[in-house]
Amino acid sequence: MVRTTSGSRRLLKWVGNGLLVVLLVWTLLPFYWMIATSLKADREIYGFEATLYPHRPTLAAYGRLFSTTPFMKYVRNSTIIAVGNTLLSLAFGCLGAYALARLRFPGRSLIARGLVVTYLVPPALLFIPLFAVMSTLRLIDTHQGLILAYLSFSVPFSTWLLMGYFRSVPLELEEAALVDGCSRLGSLIRVILPMSLPALAVVTFFSFTQSWNEFLYANVFVNSVEVRTITTGLSLFIVEDVFFWGPMMGASFLSTLPPLIMYLIFQRWVVKGLTLGAVKG
Amino acid sequence: MSSINRRDVLKLAGAAGVAATSPWWLVGKSQAQRAKKLVYWHLPNFTPLADQIQKEQVYEFAKQAGLKEAEVEYAVVANEQATAKLAASIEAGNPPDVIRLYESNVQFYGSQGHLLDVTDLVAKMRREPKGIFETSMTAVMYKGRALGVPLAVNPWPVHARLDLLEQAKVEYPKTWDEFIEVSKKIQSPPRLFAFGMCLGLVEDTTDNVMNLLWCYGGKMVEADNKTVVMNSPANVAGVKVIEAMFKTHKIIPQGAISWDNSGNNKAYQSKQAAFVMNPSSIYAYLDSNDKDLQKVTGLFPVPAGPKGSVAQIDTWSYGAFKKNPYPDLARGLIDYFMQPANYDRIIQSTGGRWVPVYKRLFDSPFWREKTEFKHFIHMAETGVPVSHAGAPTAAAGEVLNTHVIPKMIQRVLVENWDAAKALEECDKRIVEIYARYNKA
Repeated sequence: MVRTTSGSRRLLKWVGNGLLVVLLVWTLLPFYWMIATSLKADREIYGFEATLYPHRPTLAAYGRLFSTTPFMKYVRNSTIIAVGNTLLSLAFGCLGAYALARLRFPGRSLIARGLVVTYLVPPALLFIPLFAVMSTLRLIDTHQGLILAYLSFSVPFSTWLLMGYFRSVPLELEEAALVDGCSRLGSLIRVILPMSLPALAVVTFFSFTQSWNEFLYANVFVNSVEVRTITTGLSLFIVEDVFFWGPMMGASFLSTLPPLIMYLIFQRWVVKGLTLGAVKG
Repeated sequence: MSSINRRDVLKLAGAAGVAATSPWWLVGKSQAQRAKKLVYWHLPNFTPLADQIQKEQVYEFAKQAGLKEAEVEYAVVANEQATAKLAASIEAGNPPDVIRLYESNVQFYGSQGHLLDVTDLVAKMRREPKGIFETSMTAVMYKGRALGVPLAVNPWPVHARLDLLEQAKVEYPKTWDEFIEVSKKIQSPPRLFAFGMCLGLVEDTTDNVMNLLWCYGGKMVEADNKTVVMNSPANVAGVKVIEAMFKTHKIIPQGAISWDNSGNNKAYQSKQAAFVMNPSSIYAYLDSNDKDLQKVTGLFPVPAGPKGSVAQIDTWSYGAFKKNPYPDLARGLIDYFMQPANYDRIIQSTGGRWVPVYKRLFDSPFWREKTEFKHFIHMAETGVPVSHAGAPTAAAGEVLNTHVIPKMIQRVLVENWDAAKALEECDKRIVEIYARYNKA
């Protein structure tokens, strides 16, 4: 009997590991393909047989990327916008979530539900009205405009997620702080936020990644190279019906690095935050 | 307990909101300066040199017009993304002053009243020695007025592998019947198929299919832009030829039914297809990326059917939007681009990608010395748009963009529908589209 249980466990372990390998290949293969393609010469990319690895590796695509395209400007712009949006999302998300979780005021539940509804409206419906708003506010083709546009989806998400998390923080701890002379803002900063690091990590990670990867608003609200982000810059590697695969894959690969680094930094909290948020949100 | 209560927290949240939105007070950039600016949206050319020259010309013109550099907005917009950007900017009343428009877009935006009348600029171009290719005018004329300035004629030659023809000791085929026979001789599937005909649910399929149907006497709509004639014996005959090439002779790769617009490009560039019908973007690509393949590439008219060889062209144009504060600047910029000396620099720098609208520019050694270009002048003079025999109207644009004709050909090739039945369905759909636009 013992042997049978042990055998079953071993089998389960093998199946589990097998599934993990499949998932790993599924996840990593596109990255590998991007890197491999970026290291191939045009002739190899367009060769009759698709090659699994670059037969004559070359950095020509990267040379072209850095010498003939304003790729570094795209990186700069994406960074400014993603970091700006993340910081503001955190600020608004914390304040909004605190108010919704702790304070009692008319319309509170309506606002909370409204947040979800706002988050669910697809950008494809919003981009034309938002363009009109941005035009009126003179924010077209500015970093600020794009950050503001991104707040329309990142703040509802952040607030909703943090609201659930803040509710899980024992009220007694905050009350103790208030009794000891802490202000509302003080208790938020000194008591609640330190206890909510996993949730803050999730908000940081998602806000950053969403802004970094966003395409539609960046395409519509930005005209100049000085503000253009990586996602829209990538589309310039397609001219008419010809794709410049080498530089495009090189740029795609490089553009995946910052979110990856972010994830590696926040990994521990992100996993914890996602789990806790799921249960207590 | 502290004196700060929930009201203070709400006030703080409000203040933070104002602070976050305050940059627009500080920036005040786009719209305020828009009134003084010349805004040009540039769709990338095939070569960086052409882009550079065009940019220089924008600033040269601005300088001549007394504008400062800061009063010019030169924005590079990816071809694929231009439609969404334009839709949003028009809706917000803030379109660019000048943009390059693809064929039916002139009539699409023109019919909605967005474009400036540029009849006088076109008349000036027509007065140049030898004039312009009048075939380009169908794209820009709307109700007797020119709402766009034709900037280039875009022929769709057959790109053909001369080395394979030579190996098989055959000439480039003159008719579609010959084409099939030659194809069978030169192909060696699965590595090399003869005909990289685009058959996916994309625009190039409409172009490729219609071009062949014209050679059999078929067409989509009559010249009145009302009478749809897709369901005709001539079109049935043409579709059956495509069906035979695909199913019986197997000279078209099976995978072509899932190609996107770049599928035929890739097939030719990777030497998996010996013939493709495409604008000279392939040739221009080879010019800068694969000289060996370019050397053995010939550009030919499409083979003839019972009604001869019909060349396809499409026309790119400059359009100027009405909603701009200084229409004279917009018109002036287009006029500057189209001054033959300026224009010739851009055209030549594209390495053969664009065929000039001015006939006399064909006299230059650039066009005369390369034998590949020898058919271009005839194609530019006689070519017809994909909407033939009608004009590239907004309705024709919708037919193209909604892939009605690719769906028809896939009914035949994938679902094994009879050609007549598939064309009947296709005809009905096109009638609906044209009726909607003609009613409006």
